[in-house]
Amino acid sequence: MKIGTRSSLRVYATAEHRTGFCENCQTKTVKEFYMDGERKRVRMICPSCGGMGKLIAKTYSVQPPKPPQCMSFRCLYQFFMDTLFCALLSNYHRRRVAYAEKNRHKVILERYRTGEPSPTGLLRAVVANIKLIGR
Amino acid sequence: MAQTQTWTDTGIQELILLLEEGVATGMESIVCLDMATPCTAAVASTFADPADTAVHHTDSGLQLAAIATVSHDTVNTTGDTITFDHVFTATATKNVAGIHVCNNDDDVTFIECCFNQVLAVENTDTITIDGQSTIDQA
Repeated sequence: MKIGTRSSLRVYATAEHRTGFCENCQTKTVKEFYMDGERKRVRMICPSCGGMGKLIAKTYSVQPPKPPQCMSFRCLYQFFMDTLFCALLSNYHRRRVAYAEKNRHKVILERYRTGEPSPTGLLRAVVANIKLIGR
Repeated sequence: MAQTQTWTDTGIQELILLLEEGVATGMESIVCLDMATPCTAAVASTFADPADTAVHHTDSGLQLAAIATVSHDTVNTTGDTITFDHVFTATATKNVAGIHVCNNDDDVTFIECCFNQVLAVENTDTITIDGQSTIDQA
């Protein structure tokens, strides 16, 4: 038997923290509106070379897992694993953003600033968290 | 603390008022949260009032401003998503813990978002917000 789940009002949001000067030519970036498909968007861009400010950190919005759809052991186990992964991934991005903000003037791995690639499995999320402990 | 984001109770009330053509306004403004430690977004947020200057930036380029772009998009069904983009340019060293998305007359917070960590912005730094909200029937 499949259990229906409630519809929801979901929110995603990310924040990209950059310096105000182009990372290529050090020109002050300016606001530019552009089209992304049919969506009108805004960004800060270099008027000279089209580059962007140096990325300091990008936050990441981790969505909670969907509720279990049935009462079988498999469904409940899957929900448990998804929840565990969600918690580990959230913790990774918390540590990553803190590390990137703390080291804004230092050279660190780009993945800690962008959040990509993000760990895709439980084991990788555990390892990624361990790597950031104490940094 | 994980990044958290949610519609607030006051935001949902405003949405319902819009649907019944009551006295309500749509998504229009955005403001940065001024906190030194990470916050947790909550539907019954205790700091959702946009007039609460203790937790909202009031200057330095991080204060309440008209959202740069608000439009609709499609995730599951046609036009089921509202998207918003904005760029804040800081003019001083400040902490930014998250954002509030408010209505036109700035008396209701629709969405509260608390970032993964507090962003320590310096003069001329920029924060580009990319947000979307979907009414999901999937």
